[in-house]
Amino acid sequence: MITLTQLIQSLVTGVGVGLIYGLVGIGFCVIYNASGIVNFAQGVFVMLGGMICHAILSKFGMPMLLAALLSIPIVAISGILIEVLVVRPMWNRGAALFAIILATLATQIMIERITILTLGDQPRSFPEFTLGGPLKIGDIAIGYQYFWIMGCGALMVGLLWLFFTRTTMGRALRACSQNRESAALLGIPVSRMLMVSFALSAALGAVAGILVTPTQFTAYNVGTPFGVNGFIAAIIGGFGNAAGALAGGILLGILQALAIVIFGAGFKNVAALTVLLLVLFIFPSGIFAGLKGKSH
Amino acid sequence: MSASALLEVRDLSAHYGRVHALKPTSLLVNEGEIVTILGPNGAGKTTLLRAMLRLTPSTGQVFFKGKDITGLSTHRRAEEGIIMVQEGRGLFGQMSVRENLTLGAYTQPSGTMSMDDRLDKVFALFPRLKERINQIAGSLSGGEQQMVAVGRALMAEPKLLILDEPSLGLAPRVATEIIETLGALNRKGLGILLVEQKAPLALKLAKRVYVLSLGRIAAELPATDIKSHHDLAQYYLH
Ligand SMILES: Nc1ncnc2c1ncn2[C@@H]1O[C@H](COP(=O)(O)OP(=O)(O)O)[C@@H](O)[C@H]1O
Ligand SMILES: [Mg+2]
Repeated sequence: MITLTQLIQSLVTGVGVGLIYGLVGIGFCVIYNASGIVNFAQGVFVMLGGMICHAILSKFGMPMLLAALLSIPIVAISGILIEVLVVRPMWNRGAALFAIILATLATQIMIERITILTLGDQPRSFPEFTLGGPLKIGDIAIGYQYFWIMGCGALMVGLLWLFFTRTTMGRALRACSQNRESAALLGIPVSRMLMVSFALSAALGAVAGILVTPTQFTAYNVGTPFGVNGFIAAIIGGFGNAAGALAGGILLGILQALAIVIFGAGFKNVAALTVLLLVLFIFPSGIFAGLKGKSH
Repeated sequence: MSASALLEVRDLSAHYGRVHALKPTSLLVNEGEIVTILGPNGAGKTTLLRAMLRLTPSTGQVFFKGKDITGLSTHRRAEEGIIMVQEGRGLFGQMSVRENLTLGAYTQPSGTMSMDDRLDKVFALFPRLKERINQIAGSLSGGEQQMVAVGRALMAEPKLLILDEPSLGLAPRVATEIIETLGALNRKGLGILLVEQKAPLALKLAKRVYVLSLGRIAAELPATDIKSHHDLAQYYLH
């Protein structure tokens, strides 16, 4: 049976990992809202965040913060490249959405191969942001990195909120998600907004990848599990609802952490997929879909 | 092209699949003029406007202030000063009135006038919006939504304002209020292209009327020639 200590530990780690899923899930929403495209290359940004940050750390011996701040824009540029090289040519020719979505999946595979060729196939990690730890309260022990994840995750959510509500570009992105034609009629360059959404999603993925790598490892193929869990988080949240994706991610993270202590590590993904199926049975449009008040 | 031409459309034509919804159509709006397009449901009015703004693919040419803008995308046409209020209003339904209006000024450089001053200009026309400023646009009444739509378009400081059936679904009193506001704007020099299905309201304002029927312009008349619905009946019955 689960002890109180285990319960508290899995709650904290679950919230931490869940925030990571939430960031990936928000990344899905940002692109989906701007275009209707589900970007299956989303997990790749998490992988690239960890891998590029590791490469910078090991090649140039930079301080962690600097390496992180350098990796994020590099990954954001990779997002822009996907939009410019893969999505836009298809979009401009009026390709069906599902074809574009499939192309993003192909892109994920390609980027994974390129990563193997350039950085190798060996898993790697880098140290927690703050050495020492874990933090001990009685029997409860929690790695410092989880506090970094929670702090930075909350910071990202706050910055995103400010971006979407207080800046012209953020408002324009939301406008595109509600009515692309009206947005264009007001002079908002809708196709450039699609590029912005890819850059933003990629940056979010990179932050997630950098934060989570010290708690486990990164390798060319970690994108898929993070992509899948982020996707589930977004579905739980009612696809397109960023706040819902965040809540969905945290819920998913907690349930996975509990499943691990109760049933064993092998049940992590079983838990995730069970949650997904249950949610889809009971709330076909996501638990938090109603909160967004969809107009159509 | 005359020196005072604001918008000139030449042989604009659009298809939906095999349906030729807009046969080659030409029309002109002069500077400071208010022009009305009348026509029954399904005549192709919305298609014509969508083609003009490049929301729907079309052939033909569009000139604005003497410049060929045929190659420009929708948002670049807005930057040129052509702002359209779509049929059904096209509000950002989950955003507040303030956010809707603020987005209207997207093309406007921030240095020239403060956002509050821009908003005040809209409130002067539609005082009711001031009380509703923080409400979610989708929760407003139909008339208030249309005021937001027109107000949002005005935030862009248009050179030509295009409206697709702004009175649709509104109580007569509210529709009249909006049409009268358009008249006041036109008297200050704003070029307006107004599409309506119902003649009486639109005819109060317009000097010149195009009648659209079955995807083509069936008549171009001075508004004074149309004294009643009766004179239009021939175009509406087909
Ligand atoms: N998206 C569409 N697909 C197919 N046919 C359309 C579409 N939109 C309009 N039509 C058809 O084109 C014709 C003109 O429609 P529309 O321009 O909306 O007329 P109006 O605005 O004058 O009522 C109608 O016969 C209508 O059924
Ligand atoms: Mg119409």
